[in-house]
Amino acid sequence: MAVFTDTDELHRVMTDLWTAIKNEKEMAAQLLSSRLIVTFHYREPDGRLTVDCSDGKEMVITVGDCNKKPVVEMFMKSSVAHDFWLGKVNVPLALIQGKIVSKGPVNKALALLPAIKPAYGLYPAVIEKNGLKVSIT
Amino acid sequence: MNPFVFHTPTRVYFGENSASSCGDFLRELGATKVLMVADAFLEKSGALAPLIDSIKESTGLAPILFTDVPSDSDVDCVNKATVIARTSGCNALVAVGGGSVLDTAKVINICLTFGGEVLDYQGLNIIERKLLPLIAVPTTAGTGAEVSFVAMVKDHGESKKLMFGSRFLAPDVAILDPLMIVSLPAKLTAATGIDAVTHDIECYVASGTYSVFTDSLCLESLRLLFEFLPQATIDGDNLEARGATLVASCMAGVAFTNSGVGITHALAHAVGAKYATHHGMTNAVFLPHGMRFNFESVYPRYARIARFLDLAAEASNSINGNTISSSDDRALAHLLLNKVEALLRQLKLPLNLRELGVPELTDENLAELVDLAGADPAIMFNPREASSEDLTQLLKRAY
Repeated sequence: MAVFTDTDELHRVMTDLWTAIKNEKEMAAQLLSSRLIVTFHYREPDGRLTVDCSDGKEMVITVGDCNKKPVVEMFMKSSVAHDFWLGKVNVPLALIQGKIVSKGPVNKALALLPAIKPAYGLYPAVIEKNGLKVSIT
Repeated sequence: MNPFVFHTPTRVYFGENSASSCGDFLRELGATKVLMVADAFLEKSGALAPLIDSIKESTGLAPILFTDVPSDSDVDCVNKATVIARTSGCNALVAVGGGSVLDTAKVINICLTFGGEVLDYQGLNIIERKLLPLIAVPTTAGTGAEVSFVAMVKDHGESKKLMFGSRFLAPDVAILDPLMIVSLPAKLTAATGIDAVTHDIECYVASGTYSVFTDSLCLESLRLLFEFLPQATIDGDNLEARGATLVASCMAGVAFTNSGVGITHALAHAVGAKYATHHGMTNAVFLPHGMRFNFESVYPRYARIARFLDLAAEASNSINGNTISSSDDRALAHLLLNKVEALLRQLKLPLNLRELGVPELTDENLAELVDLAGADPAIMFNPREASSEDLTQLLKRAY
């Protein structure tokens, strides 16, 4: 069974999660210091979310089409994204298995992994708020 | 058992004079016009002759030779070679050289196959279909580039390395001909060989990505390297030793490209990027430090290597019959560490960054190196997480 019933639900959950990340001062500061623009491309269901940290001051989150040119693009199934935010994805293994595709300077994106780890703790509340009927254990 | 994936798409062909079979493989792969990417030194030395003759025989045409590959190959070199290959109508590549030449050929192959700009393909798993045929003939025994799924070239304009990773980057054929590496100087034999040792050890303990397939490759590769690398270094004409190191390096290449490396490589990449130090020699400096850093997390795995290499028996012989229990993982793991350090001394490799010619590390330089190492993809495969402070301490110790 799919984690997200449709694109709208996927976009809602990811927007809520990134908004929560944006509101976490320490995490947001580390992401903003990267000055990256990252676009996440999801499939099954399809979806897209762009996180723009380029001005170093404010994280701008855009769902769907976005005319900003990303520095890094990540492609994955929506279920992989869900598992990632639950802290259940071995990222090196997922990259080797081809479950995650990374376009652009991959080192810049990977360098942010330690910074976003605290977001794993935010995700269950986002899931609950959006009423997803999935196991989060 | 952990979930894993294991690919080995490259056909490996080993033997003395095997380079002269290059044309047969090209014919089989449907090549009609070949771009040969090679080290300029090899052209001057005449080492390319058997390959060129073999290609002429199979395609009826001499390959287009491109030897303008710098030791730290870059995007300009890739673009230049791609234009030559495209205008000449090449539909296959042969790469002859060390890691830089082989990596360059892989990236040329991407551009020649798909067109567009090099930067369009930077990343991991972007390339999702087969490239034009590529045959790799390594002339060093260490990088594993003849079988690996990754390639790195420098973007000098931006002062950074670009990484390309996809299983479709692996060459179709790797020809391992010991005669192609006999002229490799002792120092480079040792340094490139240690790169392979580092691949084996880091891959064997990689974070949740190793498998029984990679384990078996790493273990046998290490056995060959501990036995034959000193011989190949001392006596470059020893074809048995040369062949063994070539095969061991290739095995390590198959292993690490499936499971990753670790903190030693991350630090070596950082120092190499900033100070242009030799990759193998830089690995030699960091390997004992990396192993010590990971020791508590993985000593049972180090002990498995020590058991396979029978290091306890070797040690009991050298310490007057005092035996080490085969169940004492810590003691066995220490034996492996000692064995690695003894090999580094035997090969007369630099033991610290100062010996490598790295200038005194200022706080500013340290911070830069820590940032580079911390963002290096290799570090995510390391079995123990490394903080900025950990990386700083490792760099200081290695100095």
